Amino acid sequence: MKKITRRAFSVLLLALLVIVGLTSYVLRYIDHGEDWALYFNRLNSGSSGELLDRNGIVLAAFSANENRYAEDALTRTANYHVTGDYWGRTGTGILSTYWNKMQGFSLLTGTTRSTVGTTRLFIDAGLNNTAYAGLDGRPGCVLVTNYKTGELVCMVSTPAVDPADPNAEPAPGAYINRALSSAFVPGSIFKLITAAAAIETLPNLAERRFYCEGSTFIGGVEIHCSGEHYTQTFEQALANSCNVAFAKIATLVGQDKLVEYVRAFGFLDRHALGDIPTAAGSFPLDFVGDPELGWAGIGQSTDTVNPYAMLRYVSAIANGGILVEPTMVNTGKEPVKSRFLSSDTAEKLKEMMAYNVSYAYDGDFRFTGLKLCAKTGTAELGGGLTSHAWFVGFLDDEEHPYAFVVLVENGGGGLSVASPIAERVLRHCMRME
Amino acid sequence: MSATQLFLEYMLKASKYGLILLSIAILVRCIRSLLREAYEPETWAYIRTGDGRLPVNHWEVILGRSPSADVRIDKKGVSRVHAVLARNDHGIWQIYDIFARSGVWVNGERVGDRGIRVNDKDVINLGGVNVRFQEVSLERREKLEEKRSAPGRLTSPAVTLLELTLFQLFLLLQHAMSADPENLPEIALGFASLAIMQWSGYNAMRVIGRSGFEVETLAFYLSSLGMSVAASSTPDDMYKQILLTLAGVVLFLLMGWWLRSLDRTEATRLPVAALALMLLAVNAVFSDVILGARNWLIIGGFSFQPSELVKVAYVYVGAATLERLFREKNLYSFIAFSAMCVLALALIGDFGTALVFFVCFLVISFMRSGSIATVILAISGAIIAALLAVSVRPYIGSRFSVWGHVWEDVYDKGYQQTRAMSAAAAGGLFGKGGGAGWLKDIVAGNTDMVFAVICEEQGLIIALCMCMAVLTLAFFAIRSARTGRSSYYAIAACAAMTMLLTQLALNVFGSLDILPFTGVTFPFVSRGGSSLLSCWMMMAYIKGADNRRDASFAVRPGERIRNAPPPEEEADEEDDE
Repeated sequence: MKKITRRAFSVLLLALLVIVGLTSYVLRYIDHGEDWALYFNRLNSGSSGELLDRNGIVLAAFSANENRYAEDALTRTANYHVTGDYWGRTGTGILSTYWNKMQGFSLLTGTTRSTVGTTRLFIDAGLNNTAYAGLDGRPGCVLVTNYKTGELVCMVSTPAVDPADPNAEPAPGAYINRALSSAFVPGSIFKLITAAAAIETLPNLAERRFYCEGSTFIGGVEIHCSGEHYTQTFEQALANSCNVAFAKIATLVGQDKLVEYVRAFGFLDRHALGDIPTAAGSFPLDFVGDPELGWAGIGQSTDTVNPYAMLRYVSAIANGGILVEPTMVNTGKEPVKSRFLSSDTAEKLKEMMAYNVSYAYDGDFRFTGLKLCAKTGTAELGGGLTSHAWFVGFLDDEEHPYAFVVLVENGGGGLSVASPIAERVLRHCMRME
Repeated sequence: MSATQLFLEYMLKASKYGLILLSIAILVRCIRSLLREAYEPETWAYIRTGDGRLPVNHWEVILGRSPSADVRIDKKGVSRVHAVLARNDHGIWQIYDIFARSGVWVNGERVGDRGIRVNDKDVINLGGVNVRFQEVSLERREKLEEKRSAPGRLTSPAVTLLELTLFQLFLLLQHAMSADPENLPEIALGFASLAIMQWSGYNAMRVIGRSGFEVETLAFYLSSLGMSVAASSTPDDMYKQILLTLAGVVLFLLMGWWLRSLDRTEATRLPVAALALMLLAVNAVFSDVILGARNWLIIGGFSFQPSELVKVAYVYVGAATLERLFREKNLYSFIAFSAMCVLALALIGDFGTALVFFVCFLVISFMRSGSIATVILAISGAIIAALLAVSVRPYIGSRFSVWGHVWEDVYDKGYQQTRAMSAAAAGGLFGKGGGAGWLKDIVAGNTDMVFAVICEEQGLIIALCMCMAVLTLAFFAIRSARTGRSSYYAIAACAAMTMLLTQLALNVFGSLDILPFTGVTFPFVSRGGSSLLSCWMMMAYIKGADNRRDASFAVRPGERIRNAPPPEEEADEEDDE
């Protein structure tokens, strides 16, 4: 029997292998448990958490038993593209893109939380409501960021959906966040980019004069203007949003140089708002010749601009050329900052945008009390479509350092249609904090 | 939230940690009792040499000069392994010559191949060295028995069982919160039936004077987790789980009773082998294909895997007594039987079970022969066979292709493993609560991925306790070989635990992508009829080897086994209790 007793220890070998295997699993669980647990995150139902705006208003709350949204329909709808929904119908909402992190995983409790996990946004739900009301049923979007801290306080895209209404019949395109996922013909707001290129590449720009008599021919192609501006300085040309002047400037800068600037400002790239990818814009990259380059320089041709990319640009101008990358989720981390354009160029653009408002937009009357710097855009679409109305810019105001982008798709004139929305939103911003 | 809801919420939380504490307590108590306490061997006879007397502690002992001999007679003329002395159910001792160069004589008569009966006070001559055989009288044995320690001195089995009952109550509480109220009576009945079975079993053992209940406690512990899995995954089918557990326990008792007689067991090995092969043959011809393997017979609504019963039979046939080991040096007939079993399983495509048999074959053949060469030969043979199988049926190889890369093929070949790993990780250490997971609803979640289901619902700690319970049984099987009466029981217990351990390894590591996914059940916990039956029957082998004083119902108490009557008046009736 002693022999058998000894041989019985062969089973011990097997038992040891089992123990080694279990140990290796525990070690792998410590290393990869989070990735594994969150991979099929839609299926998880053990976590609970809530999504709050900057003032603590509940945008969404979920637990094992129920999934809720904000209490009133306006907040739900106006904040739809921020919040998203539990089914992931819009891929860019926080409930889709940030779900993993909201589920929360710890090696001890897995995805099962004993306390409520809270996710705070910089978004002001009330401000979104104002922007949504301002858009008034028209398709478009509004973005507002604090250009000093990077806090994205407003993001609205219309049409939107009430996620709590199971019978809602959403308008076509309601699940697309226009602010992040689309790119539009920019029209005259693009002159801000052409202007930056001109400031840095054209010598004696201050001495130059640009003559406009309503239209001009470049290489035999007519470029028409919104009015007859006659002799103008560079600043006046931007304030007048003179197509003749800026088409000329674009050809002076040259396609290669202009492309360089468009690319450097990030208009051709996809960016990310936190984990949410944004759409890239476009600009003619292959050689097109002067007439087409003229059109491209004033934001027509094949130009498209993503509203979020434009927000980054105006926000960098506002902050002396340094971009504070916008963030939507309050993670407590330091914002990412980068030099976007030279402080001289930024300063020059800021002056010109302020001049736009006072000289061309009747600023004292329209925007009383707002230290506004801005640029309008009325993007012609052709084919009998109404133009896109743009209004972009910022408040040159230490107390209220907000940069904004307003777009009304097929809305009409930038100043008449988009700027009142911006004004309403900015006045709301002035009341914040 | 209403006050009752709040109360229930707190109860749920309390139950989570309660289950973990109870699991650890039950395990620790069983481990202490099974593995920590010292247990002395029995003494059945003495060999008197000129220098004194040597105890015979087993029913089968080797006499020889080697330190590995059970009765070591270190004298010139005695071979290293000289003779085997063996006792049968009737108390008759036989001595066999194990190829000793110098021969064995009893009272001057030369011992041949078939052995010679040895009676009290007979003189045995081992290569010129005379020793005297002395039986231990019944009265003396009673006295000796009283000196041996019985289980339950340090850890009362009733307290452990009480903890287990509380464990079941907590599980029921969790399911009461998550289950459809319609299914609640059946689920409650499930856990209640376990409690009733374990307490009546315990009381029955008390009545017949047995105090070892750790093996059963661990089996019921695992069954409770199995009941929890059934309640989460198939609450409409609870009665099946209840009936199968009941059937398993009944078979366990019958089997344990059957194993009490070594003669009876030994004599029926051949018919059982024949029956096992017949079952496999019937299986190969009539079975249905479920989940890739053609290993299911559907009888009266119960799907039934014949290979599960063959597992029990395989151990029954594979184990052997010591004198048989030395008389039949070769393993040929056992190898042939094993090859037929493994081939039959491979033919019907159940490679996981084939592997379980193969590992068991390795352990049995090593325990029988002590030859590492045999084991290496068998493994090389198996590797060649596996390579052949892969070249003939490439789809077998495709199972291996995804091994280690399951996250690259989440929607096809890695479907089950990735979901198992995800759900298991989501449970953390403490789990989501019984019935609150989602993995149970994935195909084969409650069988092949049951470790992950337990991780998800009960947490990693309980899942590890579940593995530890099986490991504890294995360690105990190894430990009981030391005091076992016959090598048959020692080999059977070790072989049975080899099967369960291999199943555990394939189930757990297969679903976690540490080993290829083969679809084998976790002992007791996986939902599935016939595997539950076979696991309970395997427990009988452990009870058969549990030779502690008054511990096991499957072992006759030593002080009540009569010695053989004098040779003239042969008694042919069996001993009664």
